[in-house]
Amino acid sequence: MSTERVSAPGGGHGYIRVENLRVSYDGVTPALTDLHMEVEKGEFVAVLGPSGCGKSTLLHVMSGVMRPQAGRIEIGGRAIDGSAGADAPPIGYVFQDHRLLPWRTVAQNIAIVLRAAGVPKEEIRRRTDRYLEMLHIDAFRDMWPMRLSGGQRQRASIARALALQPAVVLMDEPFSTLDEVTARLMRQQLAELWQASEQTIVFVTHSIREALFLADRIYILTKGPARVFDVVDVPIDRPRRYEDPKLTELEGEIVDRVMDVWGLGGAV
Amino acid sequence: MTERPNSPTGALRTRRRVSWLDLALGAAGLGSLLLLWWAGSRTTTFVPQISEVVAGLPEFLTDEETWPDVLATVRRVFGALAIAMVAGFLAAYVMHRGGLWGRVMERYVSIMLGIPSTIAALLALFIFKRSEIGVYFVVSIITFPFVALTLLQGLRAADKRLDEMGEAYRLPTSAHARHIAAPHLIPYTFAALRNEYAHAWKVVVLAELFAVNTGMGARFARAFDRFLLVDAMHWLIVFMVILLGTEFLLLLPTERRVLRWRGSGKEAAT
Repeated sequence: MSTERVSAPGGGHGYIRVENLRVSYDGVTPALTDLHMEVEKGEFVAVLGPSGCGKSTLLHVMSGVMRPQAGRIEIGGRAIDGSAGADAPPIGYVFQDHRLLPWRTVAQNIAIVLRAAGVPKEEIRRRTDRYLEMLHIDAFRDMWPMRLSGGQRQRASIARALALQPAVVLMDEPFSTLDEVTARLMRQQLAELWQASEQTIVFVTHSIREALFLADRIYILTKGPARVFDVVDVPIDRPRRYEDPKLTELEGEIVDRVMDVWGLGGAV
Repeated sequence: MTERPNSPTGALRTRRRVSWLDLALGAAGLGSLLLLWWAGSRTTTFVPQISEVVAGLPEFLTDEETWPDVLATVRRVFGALAIAMVAGFLAAYVMHRGGLWGRVMERYVSIMLGIPSTIAALLALFIFKRSEIGVYFVVSIITFPFVALTLLQGLRAADKRLDEMGEAYRLPTSAHARHIAAPHLIPYTFAALRNEYAHAWKVVVLAELFAVNTGMGARFARAFDRFLLVDAMHWLIVFMVILLGTEFLLLLPTERRVLRWRGSGKEAAT
């Protein structure tokens, strides 16, 4: 079995469209350059790249938190131009750290973003209960985030993102700070949730195995300033197992492919 | 397994132990103070005896002339502190914004930090003569720069990551202020309030001594002028009871309640 390369995107009509994106923090040194990407509605796409290549920057721009120097991002046909206005499409964002408000309870953290999105009061309660239950943290709904374990906080953060029922969920290495067993449980659960919810997810990671386990397609980025190096379809049926030998085989193939581009060629 | 929340029992047990230790230390401190008082009254002519002061306390507390002065001082402390908190917040905000006005405000605050309370009280006497406004002026001007610096520290320590989260989830400005900015500043506001509350009580007595004929400071001065040392001790006791009472029965419990999200243990937010 081998990963399947797909044609370079750009001419299609994806739900998320990223065209000629160029981003720089200081206006001089690019963090992302000439980046193209397309994601279909309901698709789970992983963005894979070495540490510090600009993956998180890509999500920042996609969420509207940061403005690009050049290029265009569209979600569901509406441009994301960095102004993050009230009429911008709702986006769920799961950060690397949970970013829950420590002075608000788990349920309040979810209710605050739902209220901001204009969700009616009775619906807020219903959705909060539903997603806390789905993430198996309904017992902690009235607790402060600082009282929870790292895994529980990240579950609450995912519940917040999903409860919004957003146009797209952006996830920035959400399991990288968790211990391996918890991270595996969470990945499994995320895959199940995604299959049940049919939400569009863009998942940033530097772990090849994690990308292969979760995603339908993987955008492999170069070292910074990042551009798309390759796009790979993952030909493994769901539900997947993290220990599946096929994953190991595909992981090896991708490692071979990125070795030179990620700057590991000279090191091995 | 890291998925389990912290067990509450250990934390609560520790807290109870600390609480007993606090009580014991408090009692020891009070005991040593009474011992010093007792020794002072035995060896000097100007420290009245404990028994004499305690015996006169009921009459002092039921005297109808006592409480109007106490209330006048309480009103001045609360009023001046409210002014200092508002002015301190505005100054901190201007300094945080930076630019020309930020730098100008920094200079003002630095200069005010260095003004001794006595000089401020004399200055108030020259400017406002013997009026109520002078007391408010002195207490506000002395406590305000400390409030400004504490709140500036809070503004500078704002968590940019939470701001980013708010932006990503399109929180409107009002929700950002209510759920991110204000709760972040609350610990700093309480720190400023508690520190400057005690400071304000000390300064108000001095200001009343110079600027007005009413209030606890003026009554202190009158008692000393007439060498009524038992009276002076009564005023001192009332002063300390109000200061420490409001600190431990009002400010501290309120602060604990408001900041309960960062304590230890598994308290649910009910």
